[in-house]
Amino acid sequence: MNKWAILSGIEANLAAYEAVIADIKRQGNSVDALYILGDLLGPRPEAEKLVERVLNPRHGELEPLICKGWWEEQCLILHGLGPTGDAPELMAKYGGDTVQMLWECVSRKTVQWLRSLDFGFFELDCLLIHGSTVGVGEELTPETPPIQMLDRLSRMQANNLFCGRSGLTFQYHLQAGSITTALTTLDNQVPPQTVSVVPRQVIGVGNVGRTPGQATYTLYNPGTNQVEFKTVYYGNSKGFQSQRQITKSKSGV
Amino acid sequence: MKIAVMSCIHGNYEALDAVLLDIDQHSCEKIFCVGDLVGYGPHPNAVVAQIRALDIPTCVGCWDEDIVEGLNACDCSYPSLLAEKRGIQAHEWTNKEINPENREFLANLPHSFKEGNLAFVHGSPHSNHEYLLPQLDAFVALERVISTDADVLFCGHTHVPYARTLDAGQLQVRVGREEKIQEISFTSPLKRIVNVGSVGEPRHGRPNATYVIYDTDIQEVQLREVPYDYHKTCAAIIEKGLPAIFAWRLANGLEYAERADDPTHVCTR
Repeated sequence: MNKWAILSGIEANLAAYEAVIADIKRQGNSVDALYILGDLLGPRPEAEKLVERVLNPRHGELEPLICKGWWEEQCLILHGLGPTGDAPELMAKYGGDTVQMLWECVSRKTVQWLRSLDFGFFELDCLLIHGSTVGVGEELTPETPPIQMLDRLSRMQANNLFCGRSGLTFQYHLQAGSITTALTTLDNQVPPQTVSVVPRQVIGVGNVGRTPGQATYTLYNPGTNQVEFKTVYYGNSKGFQSQRQITKSKSGV
Repeated sequence: MKIAVMSCIHGNYEALDAVLLDIDQHSCEKIFCVGDLVGYGPHPNAVVAQIRALDIPTCVGCWDEDIVEGLNACDCSYPSLLAEKRGIQAHEWTNKEINPENREFLANLPHSFKEGNLAFVHGSPHSNHEYLLPQLDAFVALERVISTDADVLFCGHTHVPYARTLDAGQLQVRVGREEKIQEISFTSPLKRIVNVGSVGEPRHGRPNATYVIYDTDIQEVQLREVPYDYHKTCAAIIEKGLPAIFAWRLANGLEYAERADDPTHVCTR
């Protein structure tokens, strides 16, 4: 089985996207699916150019599967199409200038397209989303408490959860666990039973566009469950398209 | 100290009266309520007035929220269009019937509250529309209790009482970040979820009102079932023009024959 390339957080950084696509091309035919887990957009002037580029892959490039992220949700809120009437989180985090920039750099046509994006993808036993199963805004990180991580996995019955909100690359294995539970109802008493945890993992897929000159993304082989984090350096100061692989690990899940 | 915890009175004053008498007979020192004072039943004002008069610490239920904020549950809260139609009818009737003081009281109820190591919430700590069913995954149930920072979580919403222990929870985690690998262990002592059932609209298969007595000294849960004259409430439901099926349901202690496809669904509106 071939690999999936999993990206998140391009944040309208066209140069970073081009660098990552070039790196994926260098993998040859080993990559047969390209996922973009939200935050394709961001408050940058080239947002429309990026959307145009992503939706029109060149010859030999994969057609990306794109889901909704935090920035897309903020766009929808600004256009009165989101779950809330105003955007307090956006205002508090980035201020009025960013709100204006986001409003100006994303066209109404693109906003209509954003409405069609899914919350995420469920493929094999893998859930691919931007934030968590609670919402696009929730960050799962290496510091997330184990019981909370297990809850987020259990909500969608996924064995592998890929997410991008934190921007970090990490592998969080829930390797083992158990709990003893007993139940009393008006008519019945169920004696204590011990329940075990099925091993599962959460993978932070990195961030393409947030850090200038450095993009991270993930390659995943669903056949072997192997996760590979990639870092791509781009731009004049770093030497265009030089790359370094920072972590390569094989999961036992 | 013995405490009584009740939920889901749903405008059924006869049932509330019987439960308060039963609580009195069992020498409980405090009474708590986890919401849904109104909805379905014929006496919303009398129920709210009694809770106010007795100064019972109460958190807000999903029906109470809807009376304050307007009907806001998503359509997936109802198993069928017919059930949705009846729910909307009951909401509109209650909305007209409730007086301004009682509406104001409902508007000021907290989502949850704590008393020592006990937490009180209507549905779940995350949403008043979430059903903490007895068959819920044990770790998910544990997460709900831990998120309140309490040892015992009292809830309602399902209308069927139960007491569940969650003991010796443990997890082993390995986190890899860049070149670093970190091993994390998680352990949890005994936690409990106590669903206190429903005073005014029970669904455990009998028409009797249900609530819970909890002894904080010996951590003992007693699920109480209290008979009362439900015929009076059924007659009032018909008399006030509420859907007759609410009277049938009350007399049988049952949910409608139709059930939601996914009772664990959390309304995101």
